[in-house]
Amino acid sequence: MYRYDEFDQKLVDERVAQFRGQVARRLSGELNEEEFKPLRLMNGLYLQLHAYMLRVAIPYGTLSSRQLKMLAHIARKYDKDYAHFTTRQNLQYNWPKLADVPDILADLATVEMHAIQTSGNCIRNVTSDHFAGAAADEVDDPRIWSEIIRQWSTFHPEFSYLPRKFKIAVTAAPKDRAAIKVHDIGIIIRRDPSGALAFDVYVGGGQGRTPLIGHLIGEGIAAADLLAYLEATMRVYNQYGRRDNLYKSRIKILVHQIGADEMRRQVAAEFAEVKQHGALALPQAEIDRINAYFLDPAFEKLAEEDLTAQRKTKAFAAWLDTNVAKHKAAGYAIVTVSLKPIGGIPGDANADQMDLVADLAQRLSFDEIRVSHEQNLVLAHVRQRDLFGLWQALDKANLATANYALITDIIACPGLDYCDLANARSINIAQALSQRFADLDRQRNIGELKLKISGCINACGHHHVGHIGILGVDKKGVEYYQISLGGSGAEDASVGEILGPAFGEADVPDAIEKLIDTYLAARQPGERFLDTYRRLGIQPFREKLYAAH
Amino acid sequence: MPQVLTANRLSDGEVVYLAPDGTWVEGIDAAQVVNDADAALATGQQAERDRKIVHAYLFDITPNHRPMKMREIIRAAGPTVRTDLGKQAR
Repeated sequence: MYRYDEFDQKLVDERVAQFRGQVARRLSGELNEEEFKPLRLMNGLYLQLHAYMLRVAIPYGTLSSRQLKMLAHIARKYDKDYAHFTTRQNLQYNWPKLADVPDILADLATVEMHAIQTSGNCIRNVTSDHFAGAAADEVDDPRIWSEIIRQWSTFHPEFSYLPRKFKIAVTAAPKDRAAIKVHDIGIIIRRDPSGALAFDVYVGGGQGRTPLIGHLIGEGIAAADLLAYLEATMRVYNQYGRRDNLYKSRIKILVHQIGADEMRRQVAAEFAEVKQHGALALPQAEIDRINAYFLDPAFEKLAEEDLTAQRKTKAFAAWLDTNVAKHKAAGYAIVTVSLKPIGGIPGDANADQMDLVADLAQRLSFDEIRVSHEQNLVLAHVRQRDLFGLWQALDKANLATANYALITDIIACPGLDYCDLANARSINIAQALSQRFADLDRQRNIGELKLKISGCINACGHHHVGHIGILGVDKKGVEYYQISLGGSGAEDASVGEILGPAFGEADVPDAIEKLIDTYLAARQPGERFLDTYRRLGIQPFREKLYAAH
Repeated sequence: MPQVLTANRLSDGEVVYLAPDGTWVEGIDAAQVVNDADAALATGQQAERDRKIVHAYLFDITPNHRPMKMREIIRAAGPTVRTDLGKQAR
C-alpha cells in the first residue's frame, strides 16, 4: 500500500501544527466560532448533537494493521472505546473533546493518517472498490489511480473552494462495488482493444435531495490524460456550478440543467485547452512509482483448498458461502468481516474488535485491511487454508455474522441518534429489521438484498440506491419512514421509486416483511429481489403493502 | 409554549442548558424556563463571546419540563441505541 514520502509527511505534520494553533486561538478567544468553523471543518471536525465528531480519512478504504491499531488506540484514549465506519470508507469518532483533537491528529500523523478532505467544499477523500487488488474481475488496481487523484486533489488551490463538496469514486472491475454512478465523478477503468488502460468518466451522479445517475461524459480517456480530463471537468463545474443556491450547487444539477451533451462539449473544450498547455500529462514514471506501492503481495503458489471437512461446521459453511469471495490468486480468498451483528449498530466497531482485526490482518492478510462503503471490513488476501481459524477468531469477537449482501447487511447512517442534520433515527430501524430477519436460512432464501437507511434527505445511508431504501422523515415532531424500491448502486445503477405514504417506526418491520413476502411469492428461479421488482414494477408491492389502508 | 435555552459547551461539545443563576448546566432538569426569549438569546450570545458555549438556541418543552421534539429528547439523554453513553448513563 502507499507509504508517505517526505512531502506527504511534512504536509500532514504542518497541518497538525496549524490546527493546534487554531484550536488554541479558538479556546483563548482570538477566533470566534464563525472564524473557526471553516478551519475545523477542513480538519474533519464537526459539531454534532452530543459532542464534536471527528471524521478520519481512510483513502480508498485501505488501512494497514498499524493504522487500524492507532484508530483503536484513539478510540480508547480520547473517545468512548468505539468508532463508526462510514459509507465513504472513513471513520468517525463521536465524542472527542476540542482540546484533544490536535493530539488525536498528531497521533494519526504518526501512522500516515489525517482528517483532511473529509469535510468542506473540496474534493473529498477518494473512494474505491474494497476488493481492489484482490478481485478476480478487475483489469488494474483502482487504488493506483485513486492515489494519483488523491495527490492531485489534496490542497489543490483551484479546487479548495468549490461550489459544493465533490466526491470521486474509482473502480476497475465490471462489477461495480464502489457505487461509481452515484458520485460527482465516477471512473471505470477498462482495457481498450489494444490492451491499454482506458478510463470511462461518469459525471453528475449523486444522491441527497436530488438523486441522479451519472452520465458517461469522457469515454476511453488515456491514462496519461486522466488528470487533465478531471481538471477540465472540475473547471467547468467551478465556472458554472451554482454558488448562489445550496440545493443546486452540486455538479449533478449543472449536468442535469445543461444536459449531458452540452457538459460533454464543455469538458471537451476545456480538456483541449488543458492539454494544449501540456502541464498535466501524467508521466509514465510517476504512474510506475505509484504502481509500485500496489504491487501484489508475495502470494504463495497454492492450490485451491478442499474445505469439505471444515464445512461440516454449519456456521462456518454459511460464512464461507456468504462472506468469502473469490480471489485472483489460487488458494487465496477475500473475506468480509461483518460489522452488522444481528441487532447491532451498522458500521460500529469497538477498540478491541479493531485491534483483533488488525492482528488478524497482520498474521493472515499481508498486513492490510479494507473498509467498504457498505460499512464492513475486508481482509483481502487470506489463504484458504487459514479461513477456518480466521472464522473462529472473528466469531469469538462477534465479527463473523454470515450476512454479506443479505437483508441484515444493512447500511445505515448515524441518524438522529448522533447527527445534527438528521430528521429521524435510522439505527433503531436497522436494529429492528436485523432482528426481524435474524434467521440465517431465511436470509439466504431471500438472497441478495441491499437494504439502506438514511435519517434525512442528505442520504448518507444511500437509501436512494437500496433495493429497499428507507428514509426517515419528521412529521410534526414524529418520526416516519418512507420506503422506496428498486434502487441500485451497482453497475446497473438506478434510483429507487417511493412506494407511498410513510410508516411509523413500529410499523416498518411489518411493512418490509410484506414486501419480502410479495417478492418470495412472485420471484422466478434465480431472481433477486431487485430482479423481481424490475420485472413486475412497483404496483404489486404497492398493492400488497397498502391493501389494508 | 415554555422554552429552554441550550447550546454545546465549547471545550468538549457537551450539551448544556442555561440555568436560573446564569450558569450552564448539563442536565435539563436544572434548566431555566425562559420567559423572555430575546433576553435569553442575548445571554446565549454573550456566553458565546465569553467562549463558554457554541450555537445557543431555544427549544420548546412540555409543561412537565420535557423536550417536545425527538432531537432534544436525544440531546438531553444520549443516543437511544447506546443507553450506556451520554447523560442517561451518568
